[in-house]
Amino acid sequence: MNQIVIAPLLVAVVAVVATLALGRRPALQRATSVAGAIVYAASVALLAWRVVLAPDAGPATYQSGGWPAPFGITLVADALSAFMLVLAATVGLWSVAVAVRVLDRENQRVFYHPLFHCMLLGVTGAFLTGDLFNLFVWFEVMLMASYVFVAFYGGAKHTAGAFRYLVPNVVGSAVMLLGIGGLYATVGTLNMADMARRLADPAAYGIDVAPVVGLSAFVLATFALKAGLVPFQFWVPSAYRAAPLPAAAMLAGVTKKVGIYAVIRLYFTVFAAAGLDGATLPGTGVGITGDSPLAFLGPVLLAMAVASIAVGGVGAVGRETVDELLAYSSIGQVGFIALPVALAASAPSGAVRRAAVAAALVYALHHALAKGLLFLSTATVRGATGTTRLSELGGLGQRSPVLSAAFLVGSLSLVGIPPLAGFFGKFLVFEVAARHFATVPTAAAAVPLAAALVGAVLTIVYITRTWIGGFWGTQTPQVGQATVDPVQVGLLAALAAVILAAGVAFDPVYRFATAAAEAALDRGAYVDLVDPAPGTTLLAAGTGAGGALGSSGGAARPDRAGERGAGTENGNRPADGGEGT
Amino acid sequence: MILESLLTQYNYVAVVALLGIGLYMIVESTNLVKKVIGLNVFQTGIFLLFITAAYVEGGAAPVLTNEAPYVSPLPHVLILTAIVVGVSLVAVALALIVRIYGAYGTLDEDVLREVRANE
Repeated sequence: MNQIVIAPLLVAVVAVVATLALGRRPALQRATSVAGAIVYAASVALLAWRVVLAPDAGPATYQSGGWPAPFGITLVADALSAFMLVLAATVGLWSVAVAVRVLDRENQRVFYHPLFHCMLLGVTGAFLTGDLFNLFVWFEVMLMASYVFVAFYGGAKHTAGAFRYLVPNVVGSAVMLLGIGGLYATVGTLNMADMARRLADPAAYGIDVAPVVGLSAFVLATFALKAGLVPFQFWVPSAYRAAPLPAAAMLAGVTKKVGIYAVIRLYFTVFAAAGLDGATLPGTGVGITGDSPLAFLGPVLLAMAVASIAVGGVGAVGRETVDELLAYSSIGQVGFIALPVALAASAPSGAVRRAAVAAALVYALHHALAKGLLFLSTATVRGATGTTRLSELGGLGQRSPVLSAAFLVGSLSLVGIPPLAGFFGKFLVFEVAARHFATVPTAAAAVPLAAALVGAVLTIVYITRTWIGGFWGTQTPQVGQATVDPVQVGLLAALAAVILAAGVAFDPVYRFATAAAEAALDRGAYVDLVDPAPGTTLLAAGTGAGGALGSSGGAARPDRAGERGAGTENGNRPADGGEGT
Repeated sequence: MILESLLTQYNYVAVVALLGIGLYMIVESTNLVKKVIGLNVFQTGIFLLFITAAYVEGGAAPVLTNEAPYVSPLPHVLILTAIVVGVSLVAVALALIVRIYGAYGTLDEDVLREVRANE
């Protein structure tokens, strides 16, 4: 039953259409939206069961339209995709449920729910697709929804924030397109599995691997932009402040992780295959160090991660409103996720690499849940008191103990207190950093560990500040007059219970994360899964026409023109055949 | 050799020029509409890159009855998709600009920043 792979996508599409069609029936629209999120979560659970948990579990693929792998668009659900989908479904479910209660009815009616499911659709597609260009399209679907979310309240401030969010992201998407185009011209395929196969044996396909490093850097820059890593973090605070808080929970909890997922998937599953021994930078004769684009990724991503932890942490400490503080905090926390990914890229052995990727995934899950809970709690606080300024809050703990308890669980998880999920996230990240330092005890190798320590201390500082400013002390007039919606509080308490459960029963979570990390690193299994029989052509009995469908004809490569001299029009790819004169 | 490649690969020169012009407009212009035009120029550069890379001299459409060499149809299809994505992005951007102009009465980013700082 491979059709289950496409189920979450279909559910999201139906939910978009249904909520759009029910715009004139607000109550029904809200019910449909929540039902859509529930069905979505159920389909994801089913998929996770089929891929990871069931006795005969195994990754599944869906060839859309029935076109075989390198030609059609493949959807791949392996453990990594399933892990990310579970994360998205959990945050999505709570986000929409809280949004229904907390947002103004009139605001919801316009287009909140169709947009929400549209964003979920984009995220799902990005997690499932096995095609590089298709990934770009899903990114755009997700971003288009997020632009409108940022401009959602329609105020001048929000619109200006949305425009500032839009411009860098459009440039980022264009750069990603540039990278994808270059990769297609270089490797001759867009299917990720096929790309991994070709990069693993470049000579057989007549591929020059050197350009892949630079082209993959284009793609990396875009993913870092989406994830909000330094130096691309500038859009984060204004965008998160402008968006409705339940949507900000999705933006911080889920869409940021899409960038991280894409880095893991492309670099570890696809680009890691490219052997670069002896390759030189085109035209310069300078040798490229490292054995694959993965080795190039390591130091670059490490620098980004360390800078993100510092910028996010320092930025969060001085904020005056809770939502702004959380926005800065997510810059730092994404740094914590990128840190083990960077260390995994330069890890010496497979086991270390797997442990590091698993640490990143556990941290991503923890951050999605904790930051989701904190943003949603802030939404409830703003709904009840009308403000998120720390100076105007105070004494919330007395006013609503359960809401405060939920916020406390989210905060403590972010700080990393056992037995919450955040403790294990932080513990694993520290373990990876410490092991990195233990293998090469130099000053440079201590940087990740030091950054993680400083980041952890900063987290404690700004969380304590929020707690003291907002929840302790005497009740301010705003808090005193507040009426807290019990349904919202119940929802938040349930999410807090999930975080607690993920920490107490950590073993299955860790096994899921390890399986996901294994799936990300097991290139051979991924390739075999998607395209078990290389060399199949659409028209097996045809007259060599298959080759023409598989690759761009005679794609002249500008980046190599200088090296080899112009005029080499021959597509030097013997495996393709039947093209290039 | 560089001169030769410039002369024979002038499409790529155009691509680089368009990317540069587009990026310069995005960064340098303070007018929001001009920024959007810059975005468009930047995207057009990338479209041209795809189409140029897909060009095969004397290539035929990949239909079995045609004679080889064939042209890969994929880049053209991708660019059609990318154009659609680009158009919808420009639509969103212009909608935001209309809203900003309605609220602040200016399209100049510097003026906008001052107005917002005074709010």
